[in-house]
Amino acid sequence: MTTDPTKPEILVIEDEVQLRRLLRLSLEEAGYAVREAETAKSGLHELVHHIPDVVILDLGLPDASGETVLRRLREWSPVPVLILSVFSQEGSKVAGLDAGADDYLTKPFGCSELLARLRALQRRIKPAVAASRFKFGSVEVDLAHRRVRRAGHLLKLTAMEYALLQLLITHRDKVLTHRQILRELWGPNAEGQTHYLRTYMLRLRRKLEEDLDTPRYFQTESGVGYRFTSEPAEAV
Amino acid sequence: MVAGVTHGFAMAASGFARPAPAASGPGPAPGGRRLRRREDWLARPASFASECAEVVVVVAALAFAGWFVPVSYHFFGYVYLLTVTALSLRVGRWPVLLAAIISAVTWNFVFIPPRLSFSVLDAEDSLMLGAYLFAALIGGQLTARIRAQEREERRREQRATALLDLSRALAGAPTFDAAAAAARHEADELFGAQTTLLLPDGGGGLAPHPAGSFRLNESERAVAAVARQSGRAAGRTTEQLPAAAGLYLPLRRADAVLGLFAVQLPPAVTELTARQRELLDGFAAQVALLVEREQLRAAGEREQLLAVSDRLHRTLLDSVSHELKTPLAVLRSAVEKLDTDDAPKRARLTAEVRTATRRLDHLVANLLNQTRLAAGALQPQLDWCDACDLVSVARRAVGDALAGRPVQVDIPAGLPLVRADAVLMEQVLSNLLLNAARHTPPATPVRIMARVTADGTQVALAVADEGPGLAPELQGSLFQKFSRGAGARAGGLGLGLSIVKGFMLAQGGDVAAGPGPAGGACFTVFLPHAPHGAIPGDDH
Repeated sequence: MTTDPTKPEILVIEDEVQLRRLLRLSLEEAGYAVREAETAKSGLHELVHHIPDVVILDLGLPDASGETVLRRLREWSPVPVLILSVFSQEGSKVAGLDAGADDYLTKPFGCSELLARLRALQRRIKPAVAASRFKFGSVEVDLAHRRVRRAGHLLKLTAMEYALLQLLITHRDKVLTHRQILRELWGPNAEGQTHYLRTYMLRLRRKLEEDLDTPRYFQTESGVGYRFTSEPAEAV
Repeated sequence: MVAGVTHGFAMAASGFARPAPAASGPGPAPGGRRLRRREDWLARPASFASECAEVVVVVAALAFAGWFVPVSYHFFGYVYLLTVTALSLRVGRWPVLLAAIISAVTWNFVFIPPRLSFSVLDAEDSLMLGAYLFAALIGGQLTARIRAQEREERRREQRATALLDLSRALAGAPTFDAAAAAARHEADELFGAQTTLLLPDGGGGLAPHPAGSFRLNESERAVAAVARQSGRAAGRTTEQLPAAAGLYLPLRRADAVLGLFAVQLPPAVTELTARQRELLDGFAAQVALLVEREQLRAAGEREQLLAVSDRLHRTLLDSVSHELKTPLAVLRSAVEKLDTDDAPKRARLTAEVRTATRRLDHLVANLLNQTRLAAGALQPQLDWCDACDLVSVARRAVGDALAGRPVQVDIPAGLPLVRADAVLMEQVLSNLLLNAARHTPPATPVRIMARVTADGTQVALAVADEGPGLAPELQGSLFQKFSRGAGARAGGLGLGLSIVKGFMLAQGGDVAAGPGPAGGACFTVFLPHAPHGAIPGDDH
């Protein structure tokens, strides 16, 4: 396996050989270097020896749950992880995200969607331009002065609304589970209180989204959580 | 013993009137006829010994009384003859014979001169004694025989009546359970015992019919098993495990044992006479007929059910294979032609591939959903959801199926949160949106609305289209599996709406269909609405 140091490296941990072949094909074409592992054990083995730029991890591995792999991996590395799940595996998907995965895709997925997610993950790990200003659409967030403007007009946000916005911006392009957001903003005792989050998300969207019926920036991941996307890719 | 004998004598003396039926035991007081029947059945025939004792006591008592009464010994001969005749109406043939002999001997010893001696002085007295013995023997024997015949006749009649009552009760019962209950009731009445039916439970064992009055413990079940295996009666009064509490009679038809008829006899009854067994056997035979009839009926029903489910299976298989094969055929032929150099043609083929994969994806999702519903494996994760969110996620999920249609979303700003499973709601709403897209002309608008219902207990989400609306004949079967509109275009298994219904019910909600506000069809899903708790940091 030749590794070109200029190419970002991806480790694919997936037991389906056809899917591995296809991922290799599209990822190499997109300019990634690809390594493969067939089981959780060999995947972890690879990871111990060499940390790639991104890990693609299938949740349905034959020898261990994806959650186990993630927890082990997170003991020594913060490498971005994208998990692959199949339909009706909501529970394990959320568990994987809570265990430290950065994003997920549900099979069957499109290649362009996968590549967009990978690009977003890489954007995130690049040291964010320590800009104190963040822009999306017509909204400008001044993180240093805690001010939010929309089309030039200063918006009034409550402290909690601002805290939620800041959390989402900090973790932009990453799926945040309900539990993660609730714990961060309201403390560990509020983990089950999804209605706090729904209410504030609705208010935030009302103030910041262009079209409430089809939100562009504050995206809902059914049964999982939210994702803030500053450069929304058209779904394919 | 003495009391019993005196009682017997009193009966004999009072013209053989039967004692008034004594109310025996608790339970509903049955009619006099029934009660007498029961007493007859359970009455133990007086034993030979007690009859003989009765005879001896009666003869001795008369001799004792005669000693103090100044009557001629001739007269006393008539008294004895009368007594023997009377006894012959009560006791069996051999006790009567005994009565004839000992009364002759007693008469001779006590009354015929010389008194207290067996010797007879007079030739005339000897002759008279001989004639007495002859008359007592013949008369007693004849009366006893007639009496026995009459008793036998009555028993036969009782048995016939009992079985007739049973068959009438069975014929009049509308269901098997009612018939079993009637049989049990008749048996309880007739035998004065607790009875029950033991029928195959489907798992190879025997289960008591719920109508039974007799509860079985472990050891009784073992006795029942023996009766079933051997095909012969077992338990009390039989040679198989006579220590058991119950008597178990196999219900036999042809060579098969269809079940058991269990009778719990009163503790005192340790053996049954032939006629009692005969009556029980007759009863069991009637019940066996009933059970056989029921089993034949159930078998017929099962057959019919199998045929129906087989038909359903075939329909499902046909439509699933059609639905799966169509997009697969598209994929295969499109992929084969993909290496063309003609760029616009390749783009068209790619579009076909994309449509086909989406169709397959949707089909597989619906099949999986239906399987989850059918397996009862669905466990909704109810959580607070925002209707706007649910709708936008569903719209994103259906992708370009709604392309080219104006979609109006009408959700009031103050709509409360609802308790729902976001993932199930995504499936529900996208199924409704796809349904609207499939059954209405292209470019017609689709409207999505959300409201709190008038009574404030539910939140309603509606998807309305402006298509041809719902055919009235479809209303009844709209939410059933594999139900498709007659004019529906090819495609779809008819699972979409049944999944909507299943998912809504699983979340404690419901779904309804009706005409839309602008013509067309409108599907409304309802979710229970309850206020959530206060939200900390709510400084608005």
